[in-house]
Amino acid sequence: MTTEVTQVTVEELATLMKTAAGVTVDPGELERRADSTFAEFGLDSLGLLGIVGELENRHGRALPNDAERCKSPRAFLDLVNVALTTGA
Amino acid sequence: MSGSGIRPRHTAVTGIGVVAPNGLNADTYWKSVKDGTSVLDRITREGCEHLPLRVAGEVRGFDASALIEETFLVQTDKFTHFALAAADAALQDAGLSSTAADSPYSVGVVTAAGSGGGEFGQRELQKLWGQGSRFVGPYQSIAWFYAASTGQISIRSGFKGPCGVVASDEAGGLDAVAHAARAVDRGTDVIVVGAAEAPLAPYSGVCQLGYPELSTVEDPTRAYRPFTPAACGFVPAEGGAVLIVEDLERAQRRAAVVRAIVAGHSATFTGASHWEQSREGLAHAIRGALDEAGCAPEEIDVVFADALGVPEADRAEALALADALGPHGSRVPVTAPKTGIGRSYCGAPLLDIVAAVQAMEHGQIPPTPNVFDVCHDIDLVTATARPAELHTALILSRGLMGSNAALVLRHGPGSAV
Repeated sequence: MTTEVTQVTVEELATLMKTAAGVTVDPGELERRADSTFAEFGLDSLGLLGIVGELENRHGRALPNDAERCKSPRAFLDLVNVALTTGA
Repeated sequence: MSGSGIRPRHTAVTGIGVVAPNGLNADTYWKSVKDGTSVLDRITREGCEHLPLRVAGEVRGFDASALIEETFLVQTDKFTHFALAAADAALQDAGLSSTAADSPYSVGVVTAAGSGGGEFGQRELQKLWGQGSRFVGPYQSIAWFYAASTGQISIRSGFKGPCGVVASDEAGGLDAVAHAARAVDRGTDVIVVGAAEAPLAPYSGVCQLGYPELSTVEDPTRAYRPFTPAACGFVPAEGGAVLIVEDLERAQRRAAVVRAIVAGHSATFTGASHWEQSREGLAHAIRGALDEAGCAPEEIDVVFADALGVPEADRAEALALADALGPHGSRVPVTAPKTGIGRSYCGAPLLDIVAAVQAMEHGQIPPTPNVFDVCHDIDLVTATARPAELHTALILSRGLMGSNAALVLRHGPGSAV
């Protein structure tokens, strides 16, 4: 499998929030308010779990258990991108 | 069920919301019902065309995305979409919104469900067996569950009062209303109560093929004809209705239009497909409901029959009316508008309640579409609506698994309470 190690971008997260949980959020807005909670964007815990599952399928690897417990977009992206980059 | 001596319930119906095959709102529903319009048709749902089940009552033209936020749509099945839309309409009809409640704890939600979210469940199970467990979305855990509609209605409107789900077969639609009335009796201001089903999808369709009572007749005008020599089973349908019930005094204080009073209810169980025994069970339920309502048999002005369309079941129902109502059983007008709509399982008795309320309001007993040559000793209203002054209605329901229930409704403004 030749899965390229790529970073999950804010744009990709915004798209996933839409497709996995029906939450419409502008990527710029998501970036500006990256320290706000997912709940403030209308994303619940099952929604985040769905996003984690989708990313795991795309990248062909498991993400840390903590990923689905992240409270904010910044915490989530930091954790996921470290995991994807280091292969941890 | 409560015994005799209990004070008659003072539970008012103040709001009605409908999503039905013959109407996407309560007004259209009543017009179709009153006119005896049959909307039974060949199934067009994708993936169902090859099934031996040919005719159903499909809800067509329902645009969920125009009525419900996407965050709710992605995590819910069609049966919940129907329930959410009907709940909205009922709240609006009652002049209520979540913000109008005294406290979020003063409003509860009760629904009945017969099959849950089959279409959503099928999609996720196909991912499970086609791609693997990691491809099953987390919302599967809640979307196909019987309780989904109760949960989503309460979450969406912020209602935190007592919630419940009645899973007691098709007759559970009536049981849910009784459950709601009891919650109001115990002090909850308002209960949003109803049932809507969406059993017309491939997996759900296949599940129903095992029912010996299911009609597989191809002609929509002949597929569902209870109480006739040509009775050949029932036609399934989707959709349902939601009611707002609240304490009568509270409703009058806020000058709400009291559309009906939930006066009495009783339920019995006589076993799956034991239609002959359902005579005794149904008669007992009718007596119990009359007793609770403090209602004499002669006071019943119209009966909304279960009308299963299976000869033994039809006979049992006609005899149960005679057993419980005496000579009045063969005189009281009986109707079954569902022969033009199909049976949406738990949603069917809710739609009958709505039709009964509307019939009392308009002074018209709607007819029983597609039924002409009645072969039982009942006065079935056929062909066209019959004008009548209606104060009290009896609604009957039976489930394929053996539950029987009866509900007595009184006309709102005319009731002496």
